[in-house]
Amino acid sequence: MKLTLKIWRQDSAQAAGRFESYSLDGAGEEFTLLEALDKLNDTLVETGQVPVSFDSDCREGICGSCGVTVDGVPHGPIANTPSCRQHLRSFTDGSTVTLEPFRSGAFPVVRDLAVDRSGLDRIIEGGGYVSIDAGTATDADAHQVSHETAEAALDFAACIGCGACVAACPNGSASLFTGAKLMHLTLLPTTRQERGQRAVGMTEAMDEEFGPCSVIGECVEVCPAGIPLTAIAGLNREKLRSVLRGKAS
Amino acid sequence: MSSRARTTARRPLLSNFVCKTVMALTGLIFSAFVLVHMVGNLKVYLGGEHFNDYAHWLREAFEPVLPYEGLLWVLRLALLASLAGHVACAALLWRRARVARGPVRRRHAGWRSFTARTMPVTGLVLLFFVIFHVLDLTTGTAPAASGGFEAATVNTSHAYENLVASFQRPLAGLFYALAMIVLGLHVAHGLWAAANDLGATGRRFRQVAVVVSGVVALVIMLGNISIPIFVLIGVLK
Ligand code: HEM
Ligand code: SF4
Ligand code: FES
Repeated sequence: MKLTLKIWRQDSAQAAGRFESYSLDGAGEEFTLLEALDKLNDTLVETGQVPVSFDSDCREGICGSCGVTVDGVPHGPIANTPSCRQHLRSFTDGSTVTLEPFRSGAFPVVRDLAVDRSGLDRIIEGGGYVSIDAGTATDADAHQVSHETAEAALDFAACIGCGACVAACPNGSASLFTGAKLMHLTLLPTTRQERGQRAVGMTEAMDEEFGPCSVIGECVEVCPAGIPLTAIAGLNREKLRSVLRGKAS
Repeated sequence: MSSRARTTARRPLLSNFVCKTVMALTGLIFSAFVLVHMVGNLKVYLGGEHFNDYAHWLREAFEPVLPYEGLLWVLRLALLASLAGHVACAALLWRRARVARGPVRRRHAGWRSFTARTMPVTGLVLLFFVIFHVLDLTTGTAPAASGGFEAATVNTSHAYENLVASFQRPLAGLFYALAMIVLGLHVAHGLWAAANDLGATGRRFRQVAVVVSGVVALVIMLGNISIPIFVLIGVLK
């Protein structure tokens, strides 16, 4: 199929960006979006031009490295699917597809379609970990966790940290990410000693670089991990709990 | 590559959490108020005398424990404080959201988030409406109020006549109806947002909260809207 790719080109964080159009010929419908970019880059390199920068790693939807904005939608036209799993069959032959970086005040452009999402890492640094020496695996029954709780924790743990929720949010909020990263720990008994301070630390780190949540819900439309808005209510609940309780646990 | 340095220096006095909690609590106070207020408004259908008696009772309720208009002033002060908190926090959050969003606008994904995205706009319309409403039917200040406005006295109230006179002006009646649609939109998302801001995670509770938000908003909207409509078509006079 034949597509016109209108791609955001920007040489550095400081440089002004611009759109440039490229025509892509001979890509198959079964190509992923990133494979289409690979193909384009091959031609650009062959003709002595600078290839388009973009992030990716696993290309199977588990690492969270990829992420471009496609026709204004973070990740692409298929809901809840990362850029690496978006396919050209979503586009009509001959159409123009606009590719931009993830847009957010907290995600400075590194180059072209690649952005700096390290703000999300700093939220994790705020408390998204468990500081106990886990040692070897304990007996399976040492901690009684109900099946539902374990499943819920696993569902929140599915967040791949791609940042699409931030890019989708009109407030530039990272609440869905932070809620997922907080709740998957909070639900499990082994993380209890730091429950309060984790909620405070992660919320503070989040507020330093990201916006407040107005429960608009655009994030859940794009999240490739299917994290529900409940994560955000959980984040607020944990913060409220820590304020009322005033303890680290 | 510019990794943004962590700005541990200044933390705002009112954190997002404080602002959101204030908005949720004051929003719930408003919602409870407008619901009760609407039930009171529906007394117009029981006749002018009944309505005026009710308005008069509000002024002398709980005398002599409370002074004349005591209950009204307690409500007024509570609502005024809530309004100040609600609007101030809305402004702070709106500002922070703009900065965090960055210069590029989002393309929104559809109508599902319509009420949420329009909260600042519907909120501003409501602020204007609240001011207009007080000038029209409480203080009787022209040009908001109709020419026939009569203030309440210690013995009697003219609430019914004032209301009908005001709504008989087509523009005023229409504005009231429009404001109630806007109120419905604001409350529908506001209640749902409040449930989330106050940490409602239970699945059952969240399902109930969605339905209650919509139903309460719809009831407030339709209940109030009926009054200017019935005045304009001449049923209430
Ligand atoms: C009768 C009047 C009002 C009622 C019943 C009401 C109710 C609510 C409720 C329940 C919320 C949810 C708070 C939360 O986020 O948890 C809310 C949010 C909001 N209200 Fe109001 N409100 C009223 C008046 C106003 C006015 C006059 C403004 C003026 C600017 C306003 C602006 C906002 C905004 C911008 C939000 C969203 C805040 C955010 O989440 O970012 N509201 N309102
Ligand atoms: S919550 Fe979803 S959209 Fe946000 S970072 Fe995690 S996986 Fe990506
Ligand atoms: S490249 Fe790993 S999730 Fe897309």
